[in-house]
Amino acid sequence: MIKLTIDGKEVELEKPVTVLEAAKKAGIRIPTLCYFEGLSPFGGCRLCLVEVEKLPKLQTACTLMAADGMVVRTETEQIKAARRAMLEFLLINHPLDCPYCDKAGECELQDLVAKYGPEAGRFAEGKRQHPENFDDPIIVRNMERCVLCTRCIRMCNDLQGAYAITVTGRGSHSFVEPFSGGKYNCEYCGNCLTVCPVGAIMSRLHRHSYRPWFVEKEVETTCGYCGVGCSLILQMREERIIRTIPRVGLGLNNGLLCVRGRFGYDFVESRDRLSTPMINVNGELRPVSWQEAYEFVIRRLKEIKETHGPTAIGGIASGRCTNEDNYMLQRLMRFVIGTNNIDSTARLYYAPAVAYLEQIFGQGITANLIPGIANSDGALVIGGDPTTINPILGLQIRALWRSGGKVIVVGAPGGLKRFASYEVVPRPFAEEIVLSAVVSRLVKEKELKGELTHLEEKIKGLKEPAEGDLQAAGVSAETIDRMVTDLKAMETPVIVIGPELLQHGRPSKNLFLTAALAYAINARMFVLSERPNYQGVIDMGCLPDMLPGGRPIDFEMFRHKIEETLGKEVPQNKGLNLFEMIDAAADGRLKALYVMGEDLLFSLPGREKTRKALEGLDLLIVQDIYLTETAKMADVVLPAASWSEKDGTFTNLERRIQRVRAGRTISSGRPDWQIVSEIARGLGDDKVFSSAHDVWEEVIHISPLHAGLSYEDISEGKAIWPYHGEPLRGVEGEFDVEGLDSLPKVDTDAIILNMHRPLYHSGSTSRRSKALISIFPEPVLMMNPSDAKGIGVEEGEKVRLATSNASIEVKVKIDRDLQQGVVSLSNTFEGVNFMRFVDYTVEPTTGSMVITNNSVKLEKVKE
Amino acid sequence: MEKVLLKNIDNPDSARIEAYEKSGGYSGLKKAFEMEPKAIIEEVKRSGLRGRGGAGFPTGMKWDFASRDPKFPKYLLCNADEGEPGTFKDRPLLEKRPHLLIEGMIISAYALKAEYGYIYLRGEYPHAKVVLEEAIKEAYERGYLGDNILGKGVKFHLSVHQGAGAYICGEETALIESIEGKRGQPRIKPPFPVNVGAWGMPTVVNNVETLSNIPYIIEIGGEAYSQIGNPECPGPKLFSISCCVEKPGVYELPMGTPLKEIIYEHAGGIKGGRQLKAVIPGGISTPVLTPDKIDCPMDFVNLPKVGSMLGSGAIMVFDDTVCMVKVCWRAIKFFEHESCGKCTPCREGTGWMRSILERIEGGFGREGDIELLQDVAMSIAGKTFCPLGDGAANVVLSFIRSFTEEFDYHIKNKKCITQ
Repeated sequence: MIKLTIDGKEVELEKPVTVLEAAKKAGIRIPTLCYFEGLSPFGGCRLCLVEVEKLPKLQTACTLMAADGMVVRTETEQIKAARRAMLEFLLINHPLDCPYCDKAGECELQDLVAKYGPEAGRFAEGKRQHPENFDDPIIVRNMERCVLCTRCIRMCNDLQGAYAITVTGRGSHSFVEPFSGGKYNCEYCGNCLTVCPVGAIMSRLHRHSYRPWFVEKEVETTCGYCGVGCSLILQMREERIIRTIPRVGLGLNNGLLCVRGRFGYDFVESRDRLSTPMINVNGELRPVSWQEAYEFVIRRLKEIKETHGPTAIGGIASGRCTNEDNYMLQRLMRFVIGTNNIDSTARLYYAPAVAYLEQIFGQGITANLIPGIANSDGALVIGGDPTTINPILGLQIRALWRSGGKVIVVGAPGGLKRFASYEVVPRPFAEEIVLSAVVSRLVKEKELKGELTHLEEKIKGLKEPAEGDLQAAGVSAETIDRMVTDLKAMETPVIVIGPELLQHGRPSKNLFLTAALAYAINARMFVLSERPNYQGVIDMGCLPDMLPGGRPIDFEMFRHKIEETLGKEVPQNKGLNLFEMIDAAADGRLKALYVMGEDLLFSLPGREKTRKALEGLDLLIVQDIYLTETAKMADVVLPAASWSEKDGTFTNLERRIQRVRAGRTISSGRPDWQIVSEIARGLGDDKVFSSAHDVWEEVIHISPLHAGLSYEDISEGKAIWPYHGEPLRGVEGEFDVEGLDSLPKVDTDAIILNMHRPLYHSGSTSRRSKALISIFPEPVLMMNPSDAKGIGVEEGEKVRLATSNASIEVKVKIDRDLQQGVVSLSNTFEGVNFMRFVDYTVEPTTGSMVITNNSVKLEKVKE
Repeated sequence: MEKVLLKNIDNPDSARIEAYEKSGGYSGLKKAFEMEPKAIIEEVKRSGLRGRGGAGFPTGMKWDFASRDPKFPKYLLCNADEGEPGTFKDRPLLEKRPHLLIEGMIISAYALKAEYGYIYLRGEYPHAKVVLEEAIKEAYERGYLGDNILGKGVKFHLSVHQGAGAYICGEETALIESIEGKRGQPRIKPPFPVNVGAWGMPTVVNNVETLSNIPYIIEIGGEAYSQIGNPECPGPKLFSISCCVEKPGVYELPMGTPLKEIIYEHAGGIKGGRQLKAVIPGGISTPVLTPDKIDCPMDFVNLPKVGSMLGSGAIMVFDDTVCMVKVCWRAIKFFEHESCGKCTPCREGTGWMRSILERIEGGFGREGDIELLQDVAMSIAGKTFCPLGDGAANVVLSFIRSFTEEFDYHIKNKKCITQ
């Protein structure tokens, strides 16, 4: 116990902290500039100078550790004079352009001068000059205003790990700059903006468009870009979002954001937003009133149900919509129309991965805390780059490495390049061989626990790759040795699974191997989630075989419970999944499809097949915020409220449930749950839902998993797995593995088209953000330097990229980290999106899709 | 007194290992290897040796701290970043007596159980780099460096790391940052380098001259060494004397030799027989002395009594033709140029003081400028991150204190009193 006196107050400390933190604990505020919670102390600004008895000089509170018996004074005349002097020094080279500076009003320097002075400066000579820098698309740097606190640099290096900026020059001619003028490593996370105390690093998005005191309302919400679910604050004025900011201490991101979360919010005010419901009349979408639209949908659904039965109708839920929205669509399909035909694009990898792993280990096996990753001593990353798919989770892995943990990446390392102990890059889709070798070796050297007999039996039946197999996979036996040694040594390992583990090769085998590995080394598993609410879609029962709460539909008990609670019948037969619905639409079994918040033509491979299937429908309802490619084909289009315009909840990939809160509605769109509810009422549902809260109340009544979990609990951050509900655990299920006793053939000649998942985009939403488009404006084909050389193209030149589906010209970008024989294209830009080129098959065991037709022809386009 | 540090300095081959061995070199090392590492530290403590870089910290105590830290590996760094204006005392050691330094480092490393050492050499000493590297090569060839020194199972590797021209890298933590490949800026202390130094490991940073004293201490024993010069801070000391004297240069004299004796007997008195006006006794950052104080013995104990410091022992002598405002301006210009930019008062304050001095010197001084200068200096003094800023403030304050009338004259008459 340390006892010290600060300004006459006795402070008791359990563990040693700095005087600054001790004072904070006692409610005493010591002014600072270079200090920022969470960053290493710097001691440069000299504003936190305090008097300490028995020490001759003033001491900086941010660097001095509190010691027993210390007597500290924080506001004497001597200290005030020193602070005034420091501020006078700072103002020597700081332009007094406050009227013009966007920071004025929330500028820490301005506030400090207001408090301590000086009222006038005595420096008579000219200030240093440095031109404002507009090299970056969304960040403007004004280094004349910089006070060299280096908070931005410490943020960039120590927390973000981008190493994009540094101090150049010396003395008062020091400036914070990127290492090399224009293009550099910046990840545009904007976390430097958060920490800059003055107007030196500012966003260009709202430059000179607002003053901080214009903020009328702050709304605490959850980011709508990916499955991490960062907490952020929308600052609103009138109907507009001025900006979004994170806050230290708020949410699992604790003050950090990625580029999408911080700058991508402007998609909500895109010109492409739908402004009115529309009905297709003779091939043309015509604006109609909400009433007309509802009546049309209700009438057509009734007709189809009467003529073809409820199973001729299907629904597609959305990983971008809230739990409440998804629950309501599921409710409409199951309890009102009477079909289990409900699914979503979580089917593309996320839902099968979670379902398969839960079959082995029980419900909630992937529900592990993201902030715990940094405290682990090792990580295996496979099937995708967490720093681009789920950037804030990626930072946790970087932090893990930084604190001395081992990070092993299987596949191209991407943003973990400098944070991986090593990467193992097999030939395309030979991950299965690497994992088989590792698991086979591992279980020879390490005895299994004997807890899961099914799993252990299967591991015994696993075919171990021979030397020649490894050679074909492009991985040496030494690498396998090294991996086994390192994995075995990990005490608190994590395994991070990305989408590619399922979308290529044999999903069940890959998942089984990962599960076996996790079982052998006792690892926590994370499945990367590209959408904010894929987990919520699953938990709300938007699956053809699961009820809300992840209860299998085959169990009569679960159906009965719902029937008793709601007084509605629950259809017994397993419904159609996404792919089956497409097939059923194509052969005429499915007549109507209700698509909520999803652009099927854009998101699914086999575009032509999807298009034909949708064309064959009698009724296509599309509810979205934009007129997507799919919406253009619809019989009726219903404009929805966007992420910032509605209330509800998201469930992130660690199954944390968090609130989404409405800022203000700026479009004519309505919340998805509300639209669905109106339609359900037209179809005979008697229940009235007047808010998202009402919907949630029903969820917690019928889902045993969410039982008793109120909005208040969620707001207080208590909605962390396993809530207070009952997870289905300890049910050791049977599961199948395809090809346990065989190994895949590795095709070494083909050039494979892979999906690029850039940090700056997440599909069609980010494309509507001007900010994100300014960083990544056009489709590019990522190529390995030697592949590019092979066909004689250089960066910026065009190639013709062709599969049997499409043949399109696209610009080339060189990526050194991409393995040879792989080119990658993102699924972002309409017309030149990845999915357009490829087809898929479905692996029956997992129900996951496997991308096919991805062997491409490439030729240079002659100018 | 017999020369210890500058022994054989006139021999053109003094830097060669043959000449060094011939004059008894590396015998201290052989003797040291017969001793327990702890005993060497005790011997250095007994000698009373204090660091010759400027701060005068007891060397034995520093070693003791580092050797008590259980972490390994430990590092031994030699601070050869001699960069303060007026200081050139390490240069003859580096260029003419490299083996003395290397021997000193091997003994020190043995005492500290450090297996790796670096000589952080001032960027502007290119010749010293060539000499040192050649000497290190010779030492490796003779088995004084390597994995198994002299077959005694002692391991020590040594290399030269050249600085890139920053004065601040002479500050030990900035030196460590620079060796680690980072921007040369001082670190927060505590923790001190003896516990958390280079790459987070216990590290001893000693000056060239300090390390060069070690073989002699081992040779004659700590007790005998402590009798040389002032017993409170004993030993031979190198003084570099420059500016207005007849014989500027580096002199090896016992610690505590009076300043007057150094100027008038050893350095041949004031150039051209002119009048002495001021002396900076220990490098540019130590306060200036007026002629009435030159009886003071030059050591760590006595100079503070007359308001200055021994620093690096770099004596700068100014006669009555020298403008003190100009000297002050030139000194501050140096500090402004060398301020690393980390802390506010030094970064902004040195430039401000320079600009005020510039206008006084240039004949544009204003009434109140002296008070303003003093106020700015007071705002820097004691508030900076490292002693660099303190040094700058000290210069201004001591110059104004000692030569107020000269500053006044400049402002009132728009010209210098010496004109």
